[in-house]
Amino acid sequence: MHAGRDRGETLIEIVITVVITSITVTALVSSLATAGTAGQAQRDSVRGDTVMRNYAEAVKLAARGCTDGADYHVDYTPPKGFTVSAEPAASRCPPVDDPTVLVLSAQGPTGHAQTMQVVVRTP
Amino acid sequence: MTRHEDRGAALILAIGFVVMIGAISAGLAGLVTSSVNNRVGLVQVRDRQYAADGAIEEAIAAVRRETDKQGSGCSGSAVHTGSLATALNDRTIRVDWRNACGVARTADGLLVSQHNVVFTACVDLGAPCSADDAIITAQVNFEQQPSGVVTRTFVQSWSVNQ
Repeated sequence: MHAGRDRGETLIEIVITVVITSITVTALVSSLATAGTAGQAQRDSVRGDTVMRNYAEAVKLAARGCTDGADYHVDYTPPKGFTVSAEPAASRCPPVDDPTVLVLSAQGPTGHAQTMQVVVRTP
Repeated sequence: MTRHEDRGAALILAIGFVVMIGAISAGLAGLVTSSVNNRVGLVQVRDRQYAADGAIEEAIAAVRRETDKQGSGCSGSAVHTGSLATALNDRTIRVDWRNACGVARTADGLLVSQHNVVFTACVDLGAPCSADDAIITAQVNFEQQPSGVVTRTFVQSWSVNQ
């Protein structure tokens, strides 16, 4: 083969290589970005789960000191960026023979919300 | 190495690069998918545990209502059983209980009836809860005045099994 033909083929190879490499690097960066976003959402979700459990335990602990018809106070402060709430509001002790179902919600910094039902009872 | 032996090397290297990057991307995707699946599993366990917890609370209240209705009819060796199904957190939980009569002395020295009740909660499959599928097992004592009114419940144990 002549040296002239060799030079031409190498140029085509390099062009193809650059194109393939560009596509591949774009795909890699894109997948890394997706993995990063998914990882962040995952971390928020895991923390949200912990916040939800802690809040649920705080609600149940507060209700454990209930007397019929009295009020109870939930002593729980969520971590920065998280908000928690209960529906209906966790404040009035239920009658001794009629527990109350509360729907607890926890929302994280990325807006990911979790809900869960718990039951509180006056001992 | 001569120029002749070098032909096609760049393309082979690029294909190798593509394969390597593909493997890395697939690994990352697998990691994320696996984490999300684990997360979903953990949330399901949490919801099931709190559903069982709530179902036992409902069952305690049911036993209390039943005991109040019976008045002071708790005799020494009588054992009563019952069950209740409660829907919470998108699942139905069955609670079985075994209620045994006893006697306890209050802080001021009075003898009162005491119902010792063992509750077992499991996912409702239409059959009584077995020890293997019990999510929570709890023992609760109900203190009953001579008038028949239950004045207080005492949780003696509360065991989360799964």
